[in-house]
Amino acid sequence: MSNSALRTEGLTKHFGDVVALDHLDLEVAQGEVVGYLGPNGAGKTTTIRLLLGLSLPTEGRAEIFGLDCQRQPVQTHRRLAFVAGEANLWPSLTGAETLALLGRVHGQVDEAYRDELIERFDLDPTKKVRAYSKGNHQKVILIAALMVRPDLLVLDEPTSGLDPLMEQTFRHCIHEARERGQTVFLSSHMMSEVEALCDRVGILRDGKLVEIGTLAEMRHLSALTVEARFDGAVPDLSVVPGVSAVDVNGSMVRCQVRGPIEPLVKALAAADVTDLLSREPSLEELFLARYGEDGRAG
Amino acid sequence: MPADLGIRARIKAPVRASGSPATVVTALSARKALRSGVLWGYIFGIAIASSEISYVKIYKTAAQRASLAATYGTSKAVSALFGTAPQLQTVHGFTVFKISMTLMILGAVWGLLTSTRLLRGEEDAGRWDLLLCGQTTRRGATAQTMVGLGAGLVTLWALTAIIAVLAGLESSVGIGAGPSIYFALAMVATAAMFLAVGAVTSQLAATRRRATSFGAAFLGISYGLRLIADAGMGLHGLIWTSPLGWVEELQPLTSPHPLAFVPIVAFTAILAAVAVHLAGTRDVGASIVADQTHAPARLGLLFGPTGLSIRLMRGTVIGWWVAIGLSAFIYGLIVESAGTTISGSVNEVFSKLGVTGTGPDAVLGVCFLIEAILIGFVAAGQVTAARAEEAGGTIDHFMVQPVSRAAWLGGRCLLALVVLVLSGVAAGILAWLGAATQHTGFSVASLLGAGINLVPPAIVILGIGVLTFGLRPRATSIVVYAVLGWSLLIVIVGGFGTVSHWVLDTSVFHHMASAPGVPPNWEANGIMTAVGAAAALVGGLAFRRRDLEGA
Ligand SMILES: Nc1ncnc2c1ncn2[C@@H]1O[C@H](COP(=O)(O)OP(=O)(O)OP(=O)(O)O)[C@@H](O)[C@H]1O
Ligand SMILES: [Mg+2]
Repeated sequence: MSNSALRTEGLTKHFGDVVALDHLDLEVAQGEVVGYLGPNGAGKTTTIRLLLGLSLPTEGRAEIFGLDCQRQPVQTHRRLAFVAGEANLWPSLTGAETLALLGRVHGQVDEAYRDELIERFDLDPTKKVRAYSKGNHQKVILIAALMVRPDLLVLDEPTSGLDPLMEQTFRHCIHEARERGQTVFLSSHMMSEVEALCDRVGILRDGKLVEIGTLAEMRHLSALTVEARFDGAVPDLSVVPGVSAVDVNGSMVRCQVRGPIEPLVKALAAADVTDLLSREPSLEELFLARYGEDGRAG
Repeated sequence: MPADLGIRARIKAPVRASGSPATVVTALSARKALRSGVLWGYIFGIAIASSEISYVKIYKTAAQRASLAATYGTSKAVSALFGTAPQLQTVHGFTVFKISMTLMILGAVWGLLTSTRLLRGEEDAGRWDLLLCGQTTRRGATAQTMVGLGAGLVTLWALTAIIAVLAGLESSVGIGAGPSIYFALAMVATAAMFLAVGAVTSQLAATRRRATSFGAAFLGISYGLRLIADAGMGLHGLIWTSPLGWVEELQPLTSPHPLAFVPIVAFTAILAAVAVHLAGTRDVGASIVADQTHAPARLGLLFGPTGLSIRLMRGTVIGWWVAIGLSAFIYGLIVESAGTTISGSVNEVFSKLGVTGTGPDAVLGVCFLIEAILIGFVAAGQVTAARAEEAGGTIDHFMVQPVSRAAWLGGRCLLALVVLVLSGVAAGILAWLGAATQHTGFSVASLLGAGINLVPPAIVILGIGVLTFGLRPRATSIVVYAVLGWSLLIVIVGGFGTVSHWVLDTSVFHHMASAPGVPPNWEANGIMTAVGAAAALVGGLAFRRRDLEGA
């Protein structure tokens, strides 16, 4: 048996004519934190609902810890917890009642950890769900998922509605989960969150996995941004191999460089550089660069 | 930077949306209200038409009509239940007697459910917020919604009137267009009043469920006051304290008394104005009757999905049990006095309704048929509640846990079964209690048997509901209420023997023996239970093999 926490083979889902997911092959190793990105309607939620057995695949299969997601949902669910982007809780229950119910249904709860989470997320559990704000709904289902200490956390935009402070708390919790060896599958539109938490990132587009790898690998393939200030004349950098998107603004030059950086360094050294800044692209920039423009066009 | 003319050219003034802000909410709510107005107008019209036509077909001679009038017209118990019954020797009087109380209550329920759905329900769902961001105020939106509800009411009335006029034109019936239109107006008067009641309770209560239960309590009180007024205890003046009493005082078809429209119109207008006023005095999402926002944790029932279902629906179920138990108790109470005045010709009517036996047995048979219909509604409510959990997404919390779909649905079905059996037991025991206070000779065993006899038709409805839930989840509520409505229609129309045996067989209530007059047909009951169970099983298997579907 492999040590994968999650694996899909040719996983496909059609809704009528819409191909929501198209032959997805994905593998997440145990203990890994994997981000799952894609524009709206790319098929992220569809993937997750297939993994959870809430929807049935048109084709292909998925397994979690070697167990078939469709045929053994009860066994797979014993080892995972799920957080959706919309909480849909029972309005007449209080927070504490909701947590107790979900804990009992799951079967095992780390009660001390639950109480600690309630404290850290600053949740008032005596309040009825009806009276909670959007962020508080989200806190309830986050605590419900974390408190059972599952082997696998499946998260679909888990922090929608959380304030920056709570977002920070969430990140701490995911770091702790990772240290304990839990696996995390995180779909999100918060690039900084994915960047801060994930070992690997998969990018989905129109139901197809178009890219997967570590952030370092992705950056390697993309451009580095370089900004330089000159004392004297500004050299023409656009002729340097690998350099593109040159933008001159007075004595300031900004450009992007792809591949070996050596030619650019030499060109800069020949001129009178007073200030130099080079920066790796953020995940957001990577995402936008790849899917922004042609996303709009197509 | 030079101005980019290209971009500027592309910036246009916002396009004017079609429709004006002053009517958009009206249009939105009218569309929903119209749809149900059409459906219920059809049901109302058919019920009136069938009642008129069946009367003239069955009671052909003056002698038959006189004997009918002699038996029902003087029974205090009958008038307590169905309202006073003058002129039973005419098609006019009989139609009012046969159908008006049912339509009044149905109209009230329709009005209450429709207005709480379109007012508090929309607010619960958060859609109200979206509307209020537009060019309207809280009061404006409420008033507009009420106009939309009014459009639904007019549709209900128009359709009822058209069908009633057409049936009245039939030469043997011979009711003029004027009286038919007036009758239709009387029959939708409770709908109008309870649309307004629902609008007020939607302001008072924080959830749609509570708004509906406030309104239902008011309906119960109205019915109770009217019942006492008509029970011949010398308290007929009480009729003016009850909205249902006002409608009765309109005396359509028999001796029209349009002055009774004054309290009806005043009540409706005042409550509508109160609702609009209250809407402006409170925050959106808040309620006049303070809502509890904090509560100590009560974990007793929260052991799993089935326990949660018990907790969430116990209020509704207890409400049904009170309605079933109370009405059964009243039936038991009056059975002796009603039964002893029954003559042979009435027994003939009863036997065409499928009710057998004579005297008190036959009266209870009719009453138990009404209980069977109530229990049918309980069954339909159980299935639609299951579907609502899926549509609302709360089911997902269980379906991502170590809970199998079979366990979830099985638990719900078992719970529904228990609720239905207990409903039947409650009907039987309370009818016996009522009868026992009058020292009638019914044994507890026979009435308990008659109560349990009511359960199998409800099990068929439950089974059909679960089958639909498995195969076409989004159609669940339409299908169960269609089956129930159809069965009800067949009971009303078919009671008079003019309908083919094949059509009668499509009503779930037709297969139920009319206990206690005859012993329950346990064989037929066994078959119905088996059919219900088989349908539920197929539905369950289908549910395990499908996607969960949101609203
Ligand atoms: N129940 C459904 N019926 C029909 N089409 C659906 C259904 N669910 C999803 N889709 C379609 O499948 C595609 C993928 O949807 P999905 O919800 O997986 O996107 P997503 O990546 O989660 O998007 P978002 O970032 O907006 O959450 C979309 O085109 C969507 O319209
Ligand atoms: Mg999504």
